[in-house]
Amino acid sequence: MTDRDGIRRLGGVPARSDRLKDVVASAILVLAAIWVLFPFYWAAITSLKQPVDVFRLSFVPWVQFTPTLSNWRSELFYRGSAIFGGLGNSFLIGLGACLVAMALGTLAGYGLARFRYRGWRNRDISLYFLSQRFLPPAATILPFFYFAQRLDLLDTRIILIAANATFTMPFAVLLMRDAFHGIPIEMEEAARVDGASSLQILLRISLPLTAPTLVAAGIISFAFTWNEFLFGFVLSYSRAVPMSVLIAGTQDVMGVQFWYVSTRLLLAILPPAIVVLIVQRYIVTGLTLGAVKG
Amino acid sequence: MSTTLAARGPEGDGAGGTSWRRSYHLRAWSFTAPGVVWVFAFTIFPLAHTLYLSLQSTGLGGNRFVGLRNFVRLWSDYRFWSALRLTLTFVAVSVVVTLVVGTVLALAVNRGVRGTRVFRTLSILPMFAAPIALGYLGLTIFYQQGGPINNVLAAVGLRPVPWLSDGRWALVSILAVDVWQWTPFVFLVVLAALQNVPAELLEAARIETSSSWPVLTRITFPLIRGPLGTVIILRIVEAFKVFDIPFTLTNGGPGVATRSLTYDVYTTGLRNQNFGYAASIAVVMLVLVMVVAIVFYRSYGSTYE
Amino acid sequence: MAKRCSTYAVLAGFLLVGTAGVSQAAASMDELEKSTADKAFAAAPKGKPNPAWKGQTFTIATLAAGPRGAISGPLYFWKPYFEKLTGATYRVVEIAFGDMQAKIETDFASGASQYDAVVGGQFMMGDYVANDWIIPVDKYLNDPSYPKTDLDSIAPAYKALDRWGDHWYAFNNDHDGMILYYRRDLFNDKKWQDQFQAKYKYALPNPPKTWQQLLDVASFFNSVEWNGPGKEHQGVSLHLKVGEQGFFDFLSIAAPYVVSAAPGGNPKKVTRYNNVFWFDPTDMKPLVNTAPFVKALETEIALYKAGSSAQLSWALGEAWNAFLGGQAAMCYSFGDVTPLAESAANSVIKAKVAASPTPGSTEVWDFQGKKWVKASGVNLVGNVDGASWSGVISRKAKNPDLVAYFLAWQGTPEINHWNTTWGFTGINPGTKYDFFAPFGTAKVEDYVNAGYDRQDAIDYVNAYQKQDFEYPLQLPYLRIPGTPAYLESLDVHLSEALSGHVSAQEALNRIASDWDEITDRLGRDKQVKFYREAIGYTGG
Repeated sequence: MTDRDGIRRLGGVPARSDRLKDVVASAILVLAAIWVLFPFYWAAITSLKQPVDVFRLSFVPWVQFTPTLSNWRSELFYRGSAIFGGLGNSFLIGLGACLVAMALGTLAGYGLARFRYRGWRNRDISLYFLSQRFLPPAATILPFFYFAQRLDLLDTRIILIAANATFTMPFAVLLMRDAFHGIPIEMEEAARVDGASSLQILLRISLPLTAPTLVAAGIISFAFTWNEFLFGFVLSYSRAVPMSVLIAGTQDVMGVQFWYVSTRLLLAILPPAIVVLIVQRYIVTGLTLGAVKG
Repeated sequence: MSTTLAARGPEGDGAGGTSWRRSYHLRAWSFTAPGVVWVFAFTIFPLAHTLYLSLQSTGLGGNRFVGLRNFVRLWSDYRFWSALRLTLTFVAVSVVVTLVVGTVLALAVNRGVRGTRVFRTLSILPMFAAPIALGYLGLTIFYQQGGPINNVLAAVGLRPVPWLSDGRWALVSILAVDVWQWTPFVFLVVLAALQNVPAELLEAARIETSSSWPVLTRITFPLIRGPLGTVIILRIVEAFKVFDIPFTLTNGGPGVATRSLTYDVYTTGLRNQNFGYAASIAVVMLVLVMVVAIVFYRSYGSTYE
Repeated sequence: MAKRCSTYAVLAGFLLVGTAGVSQAAASMDELEKSTADKAFAAAPKGKPNPAWKGQTFTIATLAAGPRGAISGPLYFWKPYFEKLTGATYRVVEIAFGDMQAKIETDFASGASQYDAVVGGQFMMGDYVANDWIIPVDKYLNDPSYPKTDLDSIAPAYKALDRWGDHWYAFNNDHDGMILYYRRDLFNDKKWQDQFQAKYKYALPNPPKTWQQLLDVASFFNSVEWNGPGKEHQGVSLHLKVGEQGFFDFLSIAAPYVVSAAPGGNPKKVTRYNNVFWFDPTDMKPLVNTAPFVKALETEIALYKAGSSAQLSWALGEAWNAFLGGQAAMCYSFGDVTPLAESAANSVIKAKVAASPTPGSTEVWDFQGKKWVKASGVNLVGNVDGASWSGVISRKAKNPDLVAYFLAWQGTPEINHWNTTWGFTGINPGTKYDFFAPFGTAKVEDYVNAGYDRQDAIDYVNAYQKQDFEYPLQLPYLRIPGTPAYLESLDVHLSEALSGHVSAQEALNRIASDWDEITDRLGRDKQVKFYREAIGYTGG
């Protein structure tokens, strides 16, 4: 049976040993929650600390240190345009990469789910895509840089969209393939008999049925792109700088300015966090659909 | 049900001969070709170029072909071995720890106590925090004189730990950040897998024995073997690429204690402008990953049919 | 979900309630800042700006520190004045410190040339000149329609940095160097003086004149509770984190052991054995693993132990914080410390900071005879450690005259001195205009008005003046092609020695071997030629 939380519970009256285990489980959960939230809490209070307090022990605002908004003020007013530029770039690059990865990935995923290939087997094609995920970025960063230079694409959002679409396409392909597997072929048969083309079937029938996975894969693609650092760092310098690189910019000749790191970290995590909270049910479904079905 | 069947093959519905077969394959490839071509252009092609670069030496006038000289130098370069050793250690420890902690968490949550839904939501957040920022944040959290962790330690009477100024503890620090970030991933996947275990099976086992350990090991774990394998492999390849955290938390130090392979490629290639040598390190990384990939394909490849 | 919402609610509460972040005092400092800047602007030479420049714009790449941060700060600050002066404007592109090499060299090497000017570190000068990426600026320095810099007033060591061979390439701007900062109150305290005398059998040197003395003093203060019971009492605070410019400390310690005066009439003459530091100028053999360097590294390791073990993880901010926060008795670092001590929020040592130029050594290594010789007195060697951020002009700049005008204007005595007195700019003193009479023209009031304690300001400025103008010898700065690679190797291996991973000699051997490899890869003959040009070696 399934309770309100959507978590399945075993039936029957809990035995005493069960209750003990429940207590232990709860304790573990509480500890884990503190562990998960602590860095965010720390970032929040550090962003409110004066530089002098950053190096002194202070956990609780007002009790142990005087909170100040000056860091936020300085960041949002003095550096506001740079920060909002960074957020904007990250958003556009993330969106672009997500769209490209999802478009190409959904097509490929559908093909892998519905057709049997000759010459190159389905399994090989799937692994071809998956191996993209295995590839260390270190192996392609130098040529990317070199060619971006040659083609005058350095410091453009286009090149970053292209790179990130490549990195996140495997998720799209494999997740969508599994999603399409989950749709009974009979649903498409009817349309096929009516003379619809494969593409039409995909768009009108199968795709809507895989909406949760579509959203999950899109979110994953967007989120991984949002946090990508190495390529953003190397391929951009002023116009196309994403937020992840802006955070790195808080290090200067005088060392890291932690209060600014904290404000930028929180600004950088806010958009994904909001999106995640809205669609968290889909993410879990999508993530697990992909992994579990295999 | 034919849901898991890959497809009706070209022999499929029996209607029409070679021309139908040809159009079948045409249709099939029209779906996957765009993705395949894209990946080729942005992956295989740059890889070939990296290979080409690894055979060059970068001097004042540009690149010069030197054959395998870079690799010979790598072999006797203690910095390369140090980075390799560090990266492999990092991968091993990170994967094991995230696996254990994530699984324990999943088992705990699977009991269905109150607050699990909230926890599940919260646990997604670490995956979406930029590792770059976490590294910088770590500088304050691991701060030796007066950072929160050392203060808690002092409060319980332990000596402060040199988190960032001792080689071994620096490794622990970067592991801590990585584990914090990726345990949720393991947790979510294992939890979903656990929830797919049929309740009747567990109840039946419960009747046989009241202790949970055998139930866990003989029934649950074998049933979630598939997703567990996927998670392990994904963790391994992600951990292998580690860069952001040492870059911000320790600069690869002290000395070279936390210098990962990717960090070496970045410094050698883009900071020191020594492209040829950097490419050779990248090629070695590639070979290592391919070995892992081949092992993976042999064990789990069939699941991708 | 609930937990997250309540966190947001709390944050929103902060925003609504607000707190008094900026104090009233800061408001009047702003006025003072503006009025002195206006005065400086009025007095500075303006040359004759070309009216055709109106409405034009150019791009400057510099350090990422924001509108009120080091080096980039003055560029933002002076923009409105510049616009008023010429009708032209410029865009400031900020680059994170660790990435300056990569980004700037990329820009120059590619066709992109987004940067018309670079206010960057001098250690890249070798790469710039070797690749012909920047233009010489001699003609602007003598042209009356460009704001006149008083070249003679610049300390010789900095002048050398702005030149290469026979030409000028950079304009006067920043003057970096490292000096010793220490707690005047501790050194003047009879209690500590007596204890030191009893333990070390000589009087507490105020200030320490040699590195050996400095080590004794640091060890002493590290072992007594001068800060009150139970509080931190470190002897010295050094920024030794790898990748954070820690290697400059080592260079300064090694300099007095390595750099020796040339015999004969000109002690500053560069010969094979004198006034050299990095390589043997005849064949580019690294000198870094010879005896004086080993001694210097061993001294540095001992110095590290006379402070917190956390120093190995300290970048500049943390190291300064230990001193500014009153936990360390001494600090050896760049010119930012006293300015920060006077005005930064985390400083508790205002009016207690003394400064002195870099200590020397009583013995020097004779490279020819391969033995130690006693110096006559103390061998004092100045340094220009740091980047000394100065502006250079790209060969691909669309309007080099306009760019040159701006950079020359920033280098004029009035503007440059103003930058020096206001700490946020990160510009350090280095010309006669920054130093006091009778040597220079600056007044103590310049600094006191900017918020400095009087005695602190005097000590600080005099320390730099002595080091820049009175020290007989200087540590040559490395500016050849590939400098980033050479310095990276130095930095990493030093860190290995400091962390105890390898012995001092082994670490230095590793550096020497890396350096040979870099030299060979870039072309040994070419490097020899560049090195000789960079240090001014003409044989002998």
